[in-house]
Amino acid sequence: MLNIDSLRFPRYELPAALEPLRQEVRAFLDETLKPYSPLVRSNTWDGFDPDFSRKLGARGWLGMALPKQYGGHERSALERYVIVEETLAAGAPVGFHWIADRQSGPVIARYGTEEQKRKIIPGIAKGEICFCIGMSEPNSGSDLASVRTKAERVADGWLVNGTKIWTTNAHRADYMIALLRTDSNPDSKHRGLSQFLIDLKNTRGVTPRPIQDLSGRRHFNEVVFEDALIPADALLGKEGEGWKQATAELAFERSGPERYLSCFILLSKLIDEVKDRATPAVLAKIGAEVAWATTLRNMSLAVAGMLNEGVDPGLQASIVKDLGCQFEQRLPGLAQELVALEPTLAESGTDYQQVLGNLTLLAPSFSLRGGTLEILRGIIARGLGVR
Amino acid sequence: MNELQKILDESVTKLFEARVDREFLTRTEEAGFSQELWDLVEEQGLPQVLVSEDGGGMNAGWADAYVVVRACGRHGVPLPVPETMLGRWLLERAGAPLVDGVIGLLPQTVRLGANGHYSAECARVPWGRDAACFVGATDGGELVVFDTAQASILEELNLAREPRDTVHFREAKPLGRHALDLPPDVVRWLGALLRSAQIAGAAAGCLEMSVRYTSEREQFGRLLSQFQAIQHHLAELAGAMASVDTMAHSAFTALDTLGFKATGRDARFEIAAAKCRASEAVEMLTRLSHQVHGAIGFTYEYALQFLTRRLWSWRAEFGAHGEWGEVLGRTAVEQGGDRVWAYLTN
Repeated sequence: MLNIDSLRFPRYELPAALEPLRQEVRAFLDETLKPYSPLVRSNTWDGFDPDFSRKLGARGWLGMALPKQYGGHERSALERYVIVEETLAAGAPVGFHWIADRQSGPVIARYGTEEQKRKIIPGIAKGEICFCIGMSEPNSGSDLASVRTKAERVADGWLVNGTKIWTTNAHRADYMIALLRTDSNPDSKHRGLSQFLIDLKNTRGVTPRPIQDLSGRRHFNEVVFEDALIPADALLGKEGEGWKQATAELAFERSGPERYLSCFILLSKLIDEVKDRATPAVLAKIGAEVAWATTLRNMSLAVAGMLNEGVDPGLQASIVKDLGCQFEQRLPGLAQELVALEPTLAESGTDYQQVLGNLTLLAPSFSLRGGTLEILRGIIARGLGVR
Repeated sequence: MNELQKILDESVTKLFEARVDREFLTRTEEAGFSQELWDLVEEQGLPQVLVSEDGGGMNAGWADAYVVVRACGRHGVPLPVPETMLGRWLLERAGAPLVDGVIGLLPQTVRLGANGHYSAECARVPWGRDAACFVGATDGGELVVFDTAQASILEELNLAREPRDTVHFREAKPLGRHALDLPPDVVRWLGALLRSAQIAGAAAGCLEMSVRYTSEREQFGRLLSQFQAIQHHLAELAGAMASVDTMAHSAFTALDTLGFKATGRDARFEIAAAKCRASEAVEMLTRLSHQVHGAIGFTYEYALQFLTRRLWSWRAEFGAHGEWGEVLGRTAVEQGGDRVWAYLTN
């Protein structure tokens, strides 16, 4: 059993030296995001805008913690944290560079070959390369280790067959980092997996089929591999180490501030909406969520601080994600409780109504992607020593 | 934790683990104030941590004091250690002489009459009956100290059977009046701060008992902790505990760094958020702790109730989440939606 008193979120405050960067980003976003409607902004990390990503890259705000020799900026992970916080809070359309900047770049920097790093990382830092994540499969969702899409070693590379699913942006991404089975008879299903860097634009036999989400939008896909031949040097990291590498990749995915900041704009709009009808009871409800927002920020900063100090924040990150998505999923219902306006996507609706409509439809995904709530709670239970 | 915090943490944990067990808590609920434990607590200097070294204290900051206040909650310590700590900090801040023994904090703002005397019924004074003096902040920017002989006391208890007395002053002349550079409702703010840390501590206690109990108790041939439904209850408890702990600690730290300011953003935002979050969390903390314990946790004999009854009491004391949420909500509306993020990150 865990010593409960060791389950702490060590207080972490960003160095004051980062404040000028924050102000610079804010000023840039204020200016750049002017033409974007609140509805568009409410897509945050689903918002896909290559031009915006290029602008961010031109400022040196992508690939920030990646090595300079490959076009990164070797700035601290904390500086990146500031960029991520500010872009999300402002509702910037970060979807094009999001996965590359957050996880693909760091994974390649850590496990990639010299050539892979030279080839890919500069484009990530410039905001010119879009990545997708090839993890889930039709029969392999939360039970990720059961993936079956296989890569067979052949004379001129690897032959890939199988299907990935729920692959956000696969239909418009340049690359996928895929978790594939390279050994069908390992002594454990966690072994026999390897990661590959797949060039989606230049590989035959890879077919992304967009899947409409419940709102009718096409952002995720089924990706079918039919005798897709990829070169031998597409292997990322070591053969058979795919599980370990994918777990490390997921840790990048689970530890950022996006877990409570993907619909901050709804809280902002709701605050303005109740302004003229603010009874004490209404203010109390709003205030409780403001308390949550600031609590989650403190918890998220603690995770960033742990990462910065080389401490594994796996348990803490899972707790932030669990609490963060509850916070986000609560907001649309709370909005309805406090304000008698219907959610809508129609142009006739107010900004508030559109934001509410969009996030009502998006909210179910918050506790699914990057590890379901159930998986996270399992991780937390394991951290407590009961699993 | 810094060195001082580690030392404090070790020593308070050792003291409370050795002294404050189920038997002690049961006995104290019958017998009242334990002078014996109070003497030990004073010996370790706990109510003095915030006092300067010249004043015989540790000159610690609020972030250090957090360790002590949280531990008081963690073990359900039935003594006014946090209140006296705050009382002595206020006395020193106002340049008033320090007082030995328990300080009876007057939760509401004191309004002296034109003749400088005080007549009022002060409700919910923690350990009023055991106080060596009463201390309150006035609407005129003063800290006032009253002799206990000037008050009559109606003994009352909170749900955890901790003394919360009504103290009746009739034309009481303060023993001392001292200029205070803090808001008139400072006791309410800092009382809320203390309770948030105590709730964080009791939450950790509830979580620990819940994890331990479910790891020992078998049903259907399995440990309770092996059931996924139970694991998810425990995970939710952990999240609630961690959120309260993190926010409360942030508020203590903010008091060191920002303090109270005449205008603009100060530690009050964090304090309100800490008490709001803590009080709101009590529902889940108590519900799930009791749920995983089954009927045994609902008995007086089993120690969980010493913590959960405190949680229910502390939730309300110095304002529950509704009241503090309103404060935060008003701040948010005044800032305007577009400014809230900048305000949070300021």
